[in-house]
Amino acid sequence: MIFWEIAKLNIRIHLLRSFLAMLGIVIGVVAISSMGILGNSMVLSVSDSLRTVGDSVIVTPHSGSGGHFGGGGSSTSLVITEQDYQQIKRVSAPNTAIPVLQTSDRMKLGVGGEDIFAIVYGLDPDDVPPLLELEAGDYSRGDSGCLVGSTFAKDNDVKVGSRIAMGTDGSKGTLRVTGIIKERGMAFDLSTDSAIVVTKNWFDAAYNRNDYDKVVVKVKNLDEIPAVKTAIEKQMNRRDEVVDVMDTRKVMESIFEAFGQITTFVSAIGGISMIVAGVSILNIMMMSVTERIKEIGIMRSIGAQRREVMSMFLYEALILGVVGSIIGGLLSLLGGYAISTLMLQTTKYLFVPSSLIHIVYGMTFGIVICLICGIYPAWRAANLNPIDALRHE
Amino acid sequence: MSDEPVMLFRDVVKDYPLPAGDVRALDGVSFEVKRGEFISVMGPSGSGKSTLLNLMGCLDIPTSGDIYISGTRIGDMSDTDLTSLRRDRIGFIFQYFNLFPLLNIIENVTFPMMLKSGRGVDPERGREVLRAVQLDDKLFTHTPTELSGGQQQRVAIARALINNPDILLCDEPTGNLDSKTGAGIMELMTDLNRRGTTIIMVTHDPHIAEYSRRTIQIADGRIVS
Repeated sequence: MIFWEIAKLNIRIHLLRSFLAMLGIVIGVVAISSMGILGNSMVLSVSDSLRTVGDSVIVTPHSGSGGHFGGGGSSTSLVITEQDYQQIKRVSAPNTAIPVLQTSDRMKLGVGGEDIFAIVYGLDPDDVPPLLELEAGDYSRGDSGCLVGSTFAKDNDVKVGSRIAMGTDGSKGTLRVTGIIKERGMAFDLSTDSAIVVTKNWFDAAYNRNDYDKVVVKVKNLDEIPAVKTAIEKQMNRRDEVVDVMDTRKVMESIFEAFGQITTFVSAIGGISMIVAGVSILNIMMMSVTERIKEIGIMRSIGAQRREVMSMFLYEALILGVVGSIIGGLLSLLGGYAISTLMLQTTKYLFVPSSLIHIVYGMTFGIVICLICGIYPAWRAANLNPIDALRHE
Repeated sequence: MSDEPVMLFRDVVKDYPLPAGDVRALDGVSFEVKRGEFISVMGPSGSGKSTLLNLMGCLDIPTSGDIYISGTRIGDMSDTDLTSLRRDRIGFIFQYFNLFPLLNIIENVTFPMMLKSGRGVDPERGREVLRAVQLDDKLFTHTPTELSGGQQQRVAIARALINNPDILLCDEPTGNLDSKTGAGIMELMTDLNRRGTTIIMVTHDPHIAEYSRRTIQIADGRIVS
């Protein structure tokens, strides 16, 4: 116990020096923990955004050679024909296969409004409710109605009942907004936040299109996703590569893996600051040993064992590590709060175990680094020759 | 009381290896110290006094020959065993007191007790020993730097006595004190010896050596008288 007391006393007496050594550990813990919290919060945030499309298989025309050229729209593009769609629907059954038409067009809001350019999706009205949730209004019943994305509505001050003149100077007619689609974030199937959704019939009439841009298969049982994907590929690509089939869950896994790697990378950068802090601890501990050579000599001469001298210096390193890590852990919460607020505009991902564990990692790393960096000075102190140490001035 | 010598040196040689060749600091030193003796070791600078003190204090081991402390041969002992022997059987008193500046007087005195027990100790034993070396109770909670040289040396003596050692080894115990304070310390040591403590004192001061009952003269690594 006396060595523990001496270690505490020595830290108290050299308070400024100890504080500076501790500061390095504090910075290291904050860097590692905050980066870990940020990375995890981003993963959770993206996970929340993508959760709604995690149950889909997206079928698009093959982007390489093959596929069907067609469509009577504004440009020649690869498409999925009605025949292709029927095959996809058949092999996907009993899951729902939703054909999607997509283009971009000019439109105008109100009289004298500015031209805007937005994505236009064409969907069968029956397919809309299972795919899109509304935050206001109702789903369109007739071909003259449309839905708009929440960002679109906010940016253009569109409300339920607003009218949108489609095409240049309203050449494609006017649509009435019947509902506003709830924010979906980044999505693989339909990115509707800044888009408008019209009925398939209206889309066909306005853009003279019969073929589809993609088919979204909503899979009821998530375990069946790989089987559905394989069935579609087998049916559609048996001779040529006609379609590309994307399993959104796989994509999400890849995204999370990439985020995980980014988190590890930024945490590793934080780890470098911890190593620098460790070097500072090593330096300060070496100074402490040099200053106390005589004291070590006295201790050894009156009966202190090597391991006891060693423990005294390791206690010092431990105290620096534990106190620095606790302060760093508390500041990491503040840092994580600030970063989450600034970058994600929410702190709901901060107080979850998968985020808070990064503080535990940072603190543990801080303590371990301190102890590792304390080992050599402690060993050196313990192995001083007591005769030489006693002579030291 | 056993007649076994508390310390026995038999043909002890100590060489220090140097690049230019070994230097012989002690050359066939033999003597014994009986329990209750008060011995001065005197000799000119470079005669081997410090080497002898280091060997007597189990801080070093001889190149050849045998040293027995309380019947235990130290030549083959590990560092851990030598340290335990120092802690349990030998009390050190240094010229420059060598107290721990971070600890108060009671903590300084009870430090060897804590080393021996491995845990906290009753400070009352420390107070007892401090009173025995005639230190004022009011000073017990002070730190060493707040004490005079003579008071510090009394604390150092108390620290050396706390584990009831077989031998008290003193290295120029009055060398850093004025003559009056030094005389006070020597009277205290004489009193301790009268009460049974074995004392071996290294000094170059013949007046201080007069307090002892036997003097070992050393020159060129050999005992000359």
